[in-house]
Amino acid sequence: MKVESINPFIESVIETFKNMVDCPVKVGKPIVTKDDDDSDDIIGVIGMTGTSKGIVAVKFPVQTALKSVGKMVGMEFKKIDPSIIDGVGELINIIAGNAKVKFEGQRISLSLPTVVRGNMYKLNNLTGAVFLTLPFTSDVGSFELLVSFKSTEEPAEKKEAAHASANS
Amino acid sequence: MQVLIVDDSQIMRKIITGVLKKLNVGKIMEAVNGQEAVDTAAKNSDIGLIMMDWNMPTMTGIDAVKKIRAAGNKVPIIMCTTEGEKEKVLEALKAGANDYLVKPFNPKDIQAKLEKFLASAKS
Repeated sequence: MKVESINPFIESVIETFKNMVDCPVKVGKPIVTKDDDDSDDIIGVIGMTGTSKGIVAVKFPVQTALKSVGKMVGMEFKKIDPSIIDGVGELINIIAGNAKVKFEGQRISLSLPTVVRGNMYKLNNLTGAVFLTLPFTSDVGSFELLVSFKSTEEPAEKKEAAHASANS
Repeated sequence: MQVLIVDDSQIMRKIITGVLKKLNVGKIMEAVNGQEAVDTAAKNSDIGLIMMDWNMPTMTGIDAVKKIRAAGNKVPIIMCTTEGEKEKVLEALKAGANDYLVKPFNPKDIQAKLEKFLASAKS
């Protein structure tokens, strides 16, 4: 996964939190996702298919999830309930959808979002992929965006080489 | 006037409902997928505006727009979706949607869009 491929996701998180949560966020340096201990974080996951495919997930500690979704609807939440699960699903839906628009010239489809509780190790097992983690900080708490993403189209030079070989 | 909010996300329905209440829209109905929207629109002729999400289980918003228009219903429909590509906007307008709002939006965006349609409904 090229580092520039994650820029649309970073921009999308910043725009989504600014507009939907009314909260500016700051991004830290990306790191390769490590296997977690058994946290009870809330993870919103969405699949991407098409000319690029992969998985995008947003991972909220419980307090960040409660505050983020609470700010979205102007309510205070004390515990994880279906509204929080729904709100985290909507946030990853908007983040992925907004990022998708930024990949100009690509045809990408999104799955419906899924929300799980637990650690990324389980997701790694599901996909067999390595995730890049983007840490974010904000007034509603810290959270992470996890991206595993690659182009399914052959690079132009590879296509040309194959074409030349076929014509030789 | 009655407004129908169609979105599979309960949180998104709450956000839009909050804006509508600020605009003194008293009658608000909700549907969680395109099929419910089609059925609700068919049964309630006093619906004056529909806010329609695109990606929903059971039936998508774009299919619901096509069915509502195929039934001869001319109620104004605003697509309210993460599908922000130009071709998607054109597809929705071709299907019969009247306007388009791309998520993420802030309450002011949605309020401005709603005010435009509520004003034209009153005139």
